[in-house]
Amino acid sequence: MTSAPHRDDAIRATGLSKRFKTGRSYIEVLKSVDFDARHGDLTMVMGPSGSGKSTLVACLSGLLRPDEGQVQALDQDLWGLRTGKIDRFRLDHCGFIFQGFNLFSALTAVEQVTTVLKHTGLSKREARDRAVVSLEEVGLGHRLNQRPSELSGGEKQRVAIARALAKAPRLLFADEPTSALDGENGQIVIKLLQRAAKEHGAAVICVTHDPRLEAYADRIIHIEDGAILDDRRVTSGAHPAPHSHLIEA
Amino acid sequence: MSLALATLIYEWRRYLAAVIALAFSGLLILAQVGMFTGIVQAATATIDRSRAEIMVLPAKSESLINSGSNGLPRRLAPEMYLHPEVVQVASLDGSGGRWMNTPEAGEKQVTQWIQLDIVDPIPGAVTLPVDYPEEVRIALLEPFAAVIDRSAQARLGVTLNDKATINGKTVTIRAFLDGYPSINQPSVVVSRDTLRLLGMADVGEKVGPLMVQIKDPARAIQVRNDLNAVADGRYRAWTRQELAQANEGALMKEQIIGIMLGFSVFLGFLIGVGITSQTLRGAIMANIKEFASLRALGVSMGALRLIVLELSFWVGIVGLAATAVFTFLVSLLAKSAGLPMGFPIGWVIGVAILLLVISLASGLMSLGVLKKSQPADLLR
Repeated sequence: MTSAPHRDDAIRATGLSKRFKTGRSYIEVLKSVDFDARHGDLTMVMGPSGSGKSTLVACLSGLLRPDEGQVQALDQDLWGLRTGKIDRFRLDHCGFIFQGFNLFSALTAVEQVTTVLKHTGLSKREARDRAVVSLEEVGLGHRLNQRPSELSGGEKQRVAIARALAKAPRLLFADEPTSALDGENGQIVIKLLQRAAKEHGAAVICVTHDPRLEAYADRIIHIEDGAILDDRRVTSGAHPAPHSHLIEA
Repeated sequence: MSLALATLIYEWRRYLAAVIALAFSGLLILAQVGMFTGIVQAATATIDRSRAEIMVLPAKSESLINSGSNGLPRRLAPEMYLHPEVVQVASLDGSGGRWMNTPEAGEKQVTQWIQLDIVDPIPGAVTLPVDYPEEVRIALLEPFAAVIDRSAQARLGVTLNDKATINGKTVTIRAFLDGYPSINQPSVVVSRDTLRLLGMADVGEKVGPLMVQIKDPARAIQVRNDLNAVADGRYRAWTRQELAQANEGALMKEQIIGIMLGFSVFLGFLIGVGITSQTLRGAIMANIKEFASLRALGVSMGALRLIVLELSFWVGIVGLAATAVFTFLVSLLAKSAGLPMGFPIGWVIGVAILLLVISLASGLMSLGVLKKSQPADLLR
């Protein structure tokens, strides 16, 4: 159910299938799914629980190898890469935001972000500078040195977003990013995701079953029982920022 | 600050079990080493605190422990004076004997094997320890006078001015020493003349090790070399420090003590690795989602392994500090109970290395848990 190839395509998947073994039988979670997402788009994947949407994201992002099918991410055959190269691909290009915030309780907000940045080869100073910019961007400039126990749920998710965005990823995956948050914080978070797409030109793929978020999407894909039901564009198409703008956060 | 160190500090309670396990592993070994070294030091305290910078032993003796004794020809002592820097030479005499107290009404009879040490109660004598109080020296001038460490009163069943017998001959306790405790055989000090009166002095053609005082203690090594240059296989001269170390080393090589220490090292290793690795596994499991999110963001498995190994290294360092505190407290306790301990630097370094090896081995053993950091699991 993909559209024709487009110059702004960030990721294209064809024929993705994934089966899980439960007891003696297999459950087919993805049934030959085709998928694409563009830079500058906030693409929302919606569906009931168990519909396969999280598995789809895992296959698209290099976390879970599909049984069949191909993923072309940023013009690379993702599953054709060796494991180490897939790690490197994620380090260079992918951001993740999860339902749980998964922050180290021992680290301050700024350390959460620099811990990841250090592995990208930045110096300590560069990592810190970039972490501060990233945290300011999510509105936490005043909470740099707080630990997770001193932050509210919404603030924690914003730290997680800053951690994902600080690397200036071209692909941003979010899995139910608002389901642990109240309405107001949920709105802040989805606006940040939207900004990542519009201002930084990232391809944002957001899995959710929260209907309130639909209003922010450029494109909504419904998935059920491992197959895409419908795919509709709600805005007039992607308007990615220039590529020079992509990387520098 | 690194993630590993920050985690250890912030979640210190989680790692407490590992730190304490390491500390007890270290203590298990160091306390025994301390005790055995203390025994050696107590046995040779009279020599270690004497004015003899140089000791002369039979050529093949490797220490005073189970290999010293009377092996030098008597004519050797005057020969030492041929060296112009030698001031005083005296042979180390002493013996062992059966001690019996003279119990008064209500007291128990005590029979005990003792070590009999001698000093020459002459001011400035080479055999007289420098920390002997003047009244002890004067007390020892009296024939059949004996002195004991204050802490040995109960074991020997005597107190001041009590009489007791050594091999059937009566002596009188005339003074107490401080700082000469022994948990091994109690030691009784008499003068060289009293030893002769007791019939236990060396009278044959061989004498005990020679204690040599020299003009300038700083030149001990040079004089030792000079003496050895003309020894011609008849004796070997040692500096006092050299001999003290050899004595400590010799006791550790005693078969039963070697087995005990070896077993302790083995046990300490097992307990340390067992508890530390389990603690580390638990602590990593508690943070597994956070590790998984780092994996998702592209941090490699190798980098996560390094974090775990760094964590185990820091646990080892903290365990080492805890060992130092525990060992210090135990040695204070032992000292207050009249049991001095000694900690040879070689053993201290060895135990420090052992603890780091334990903690790093535990880190290696807990690496397997990281396999559970599957980022795909976070997407559910």
